[in-house]
Amino acid sequence: MLKIKLFALLIVGLMITSCDKDDPEIPNEEELITTVILTLTTEDGSGDPVELTFTDLDGDGGAAPIIQTSALSANTVYRGSVAFLNELESPAEDITEEVIEEDLDHQVFYRSSVSGLNVSYDDNDSEGNPLGVSTMISTSSAGSGTLTITLRHEPNKDGDNVADGDITNAGGETDVEVTFNIDVE
Amino acid sequence: MWSKIIILIFAVLIASSINAQECDIKLSGYIYDAGTKEPLEFANVFIEEELSGSSSDDLGYFEVENVCAGHLHISFSHIGCESKMLHIDIESDTSIIFYLDHTDHVLHQVSISDKKSLTNTQFSETINKQYISDNAGDNLSDMVSVMPGVSSLKNGSSIAKPVVQGLYGNRLTILNNGVVQAGQQWGSDHSPEIDPLIADKISVIKGVNAITYLNGQLGAIVLVEPGKIDKDPHLHGKAQYFYESNGRSHGINAQLRKYSPNISWKLNGTLKRSGDNRSPDYFLRNTGAQEANLALQLEKDYSDNHSAQLYISTFNSELGVLRGSQIGNLTDLEQAIGRDVPFFTEEEFSYDISAPQQQVNHHLIKYSSQLFIDDHKWLKFNISGQYNVRKEFDVRRGGLSETPALSLVQTMGIIDLQYNHEYSESTFLKSGFQGSVINNTNNPETGILPLVPDYIAYNGGLYTTITKKTESLTLEAGLRYDLVTQNVAAISTSLPREIIRYDDVYHNISTSVGTIFQISEDLNLSLNTGYALRSPAINERFSFGLHQGVSGIEEGTIDLNSEASWKSSISLSNNAKSKLYVESIFYFHNINDYIYLQPQAEFQLTIRGAFPVFKYEQTDARIVGLDLYAKYEISPNIETAVTYSYINGTDRIQNNGLVFIPANNLTSQISYALVKPVMVFQKSIENLKFSIDNRFVFRKTGIDEDQDFLITPDAYNLISLDLSGDIQLKSTRLRLSLGIDNVANVKYRDYLNRLRYFSDDLGRNIKAGMSIRF
Repeated sequence: MLKIKLFALLIVGLMITSCDKDDPEIPNEEELITTVILTLTTEDGSGDPVELTFTDLDGDGGAAPIIQTSALSANTVYRGSVAFLNELESPAEDITEEVIEEDLDHQVFYRSSVSGLNVSYDDNDSEGNPLGVSTMISTSSAGSGTLTITLRHEPNKDGDNVADGDITNAGGETDVEVTFNIDVE
Repeated sequence: MWSKIIILIFAVLIASSINAQECDIKLSGYIYDAGTKEPLEFANVFIEEELSGSSSDDLGYFEVENVCAGHLHISFSHIGCESKMLHIDIESDTSIIFYLDHTDHVLHQVSISDKKSLTNTQFSETINKQYISDNAGDNLSDMVSVMPGVSSLKNGSSIAKPVVQGLYGNRLTILNNGVVQAGQQWGSDHSPEIDPLIADKISVIKGVNAITYLNGQLGAIVLVEPGKIDKDPHLHGKAQYFYESNGRSHGINAQLRKYSPNISWKLNGTLKRSGDNRSPDYFLRNTGAQEANLALQLEKDYSDNHSAQLYISTFNSELGVLRGSQIGNLTDLEQAIGRDVPFFTEEEFSYDISAPQQQVNHHLIKYSSQLFIDDHKWLKFNISGQYNVRKEFDVRRGGLSETPALSLVQTMGIIDLQYNHEYSESTFLKSGFQGSVINNTNNPETGILPLVPDYIAYNGGLYTTITKKTESLTLEAGLRYDLVTQNVAAISTSLPREIIRYDDVYHNISTSVGTIFQISEDLNLSLNTGYALRSPAINERFSFGLHQGVSGIEEGTIDLNSEASWKSSISLSNNAKSKLYVESIFYFHNINDYIYLQPQAEFQLTIRGAFPVFKYEQTDARIVGLDLYAKYEISPNIETAVTYSYINGTDRIQNNGLVFIPANNLTSQISYALVKPVMVFQKSIENLKFSIDNRFVFRKTGIDEDQDFLITPDAYNLISLDLSGDIQLKSTRLRLSLGIDNVANVKYRDYLNRLRYFSDDLGRNIKAGMSIRF
């Protein structure tokens, strides 16, 4: 009986004395991708590289993402290289390395509505399927439209046309999906 | 094998305790239905020491002659009741009166834990131990959804929560052995952490206002009640094995109990494991589940006036979520929904559970005591502590699938003191205080901003109810006040991350008036009306982030008002012993400032693409419904029953339907029972019963296209079969049951199951169960 009274006293005591909730520990958002950069350099190294960036530092929700693009030249072949960064970390964490390490579980897809803009894979995973971090991007005549870059986690790389860059049958989860407005001049 | 050994041990023990004594004693008595107090005909009586028995006549009367003096274990059984055992010492002719929990559909049933039972005007319905035991493979929510007006909100077959007259989550309170269930009861993808097999009965209160319960403002309560330990000084128990073909699920449950004037104890343990469920056409990958639960109940009677109980339970589960139901963004969702076969479907069955999955542990300790001050005044005291750990795992990059995406620890302490005073035969007062504290903490291991913040919430409540009875009328009135404080420490969603604190106080007042009126010998009318305020819950105010349970980003609204609810219901029922028994409840529920998740027109753009956004908003809602149950006894062998639930939820401001209000449904049953034992292979099979159920679920209507990702699924019809019987073997009793759900292997999708976006619901399922009681 005494024990029970003590227990009761403890609970009552707890209710009276407890006040504010302790400060929560802010989680280390190591998984977050804040930035996507697609860098395009011409085959022969002529001209300035073109950079397309998508930045959303505060993660889902909150402030709107910042999207920067610049124009591509017509009838040009570019070497494309995509980078995924977590800029919340200091220094910024390069998530691309992780994607390359786990190449079997990832694939980057490119879809464009610009006529004549063609993206082909320039790298492979350890089983010979495309990965998509490095690409060859060619333009034809001038025009405009969008380019969507998608990083899929655990896609079905054996799905119909997935190896050709068609996302339709890929499945898996989307880690990144950003869309840029593109002008080809 | 070990059950055989136990039988053997008992047979030896019992054999050695029988001495040559006078054997001309007559044992007689009456058997009644505990629910209706009506005599039970064809109840079987069996004296284990004598290996003889008899059965009751239409007055419930039985007699057994030539009984030897000494200790006797008498087993009572009847169709639809779990058999019960009575232990007595007899020396001369003895007469006994025995009650069996027979009727499973009775309104106004009173909690049996009261020494004095008084009629209560709130409607409640109960499933008894027999039903619970025969459906051991089901979860709590599926068990209670056989009642009219009760449905199950699901995320696959193992994650399910009850919906009572359209109320669920924050609006529904679940009491586990009298303790308000702590944990994350809010999300539609969080299942209550309770093993239903600990219960001797499970009741659902469908009232307008449950004044005496913490958080009972809206009147919807599920009570999971382990009963008192039977007064039998010998070790008794039950061992049960159950199997389901769909998911290849195996389960065992064992119960042991022993009464002693010193201290009585009861132990109950369950182990369950299931693998991938199967729709008619394909396996549902990663839908397995595992559970391991244990409960210990100790009781002590200090004196006639003072008794105490200690209850400790642990519930541990691991639940898989359909692999093809996790979405990355809006594009993924659009590709995943409405597919014929979900992504990631495999040809082979598997017991493996990987991300997305949930791991939940829930531990409870409760001490309760009852003290009679005199014959008319008594006190009840409860104190309890709960510890709930919930980890939810999503499929994540970089080996993070092993790291939970949501990791919450919640502790809850409750003190409950109730004073009961019977002023006279006709006037009864109940008054009490409840205090609770919830401490909710996110574990930062997730690497993701938490969906709900850290907080401490206090609740202090005071209440009084008065009941007045006359010959044909019972009147009840109650008033309750709650002080709720929420102390929240949230992490900012903008940069730099910082801690934002909120400290808010709410006052909730609730009141109700009810009456039961006996119109004639055979007809009861009951009216109830109640008003209540419910303050917004933490998740409704502070949710922020991706919630797979809603397939989108969920956002709280900090400055929500309290919901003001006004509910009235009217019920009509006739005498339960009539050949045709009908009970009906019509209810009308207005909730102003009804809090709900409203899909937003604008999508949220993130680096993973666009996401649907759901925000907690308020509107004025109306829920109107009818729960109907009718039973007709065609002959002593054949009975038919019909259950119908109609419900309509409307948003009175936007003039559209409320989401997550169940579709209307109609269940009809016909059963054939052999009231007298039949001999098969020289064994007498008692209580043999065969039944066919037909459940028709109407299409959910009234939901606009912009309120949901998909149009509501088509109506469907499911047939199920059940066969069960008991065999008395000397001093043990064997019960066998066999059933088939979805006999026709119908392809269907249910409105209240989130997986309807991604896959068909369960196909045919064959269930078998065997229990041995000793």
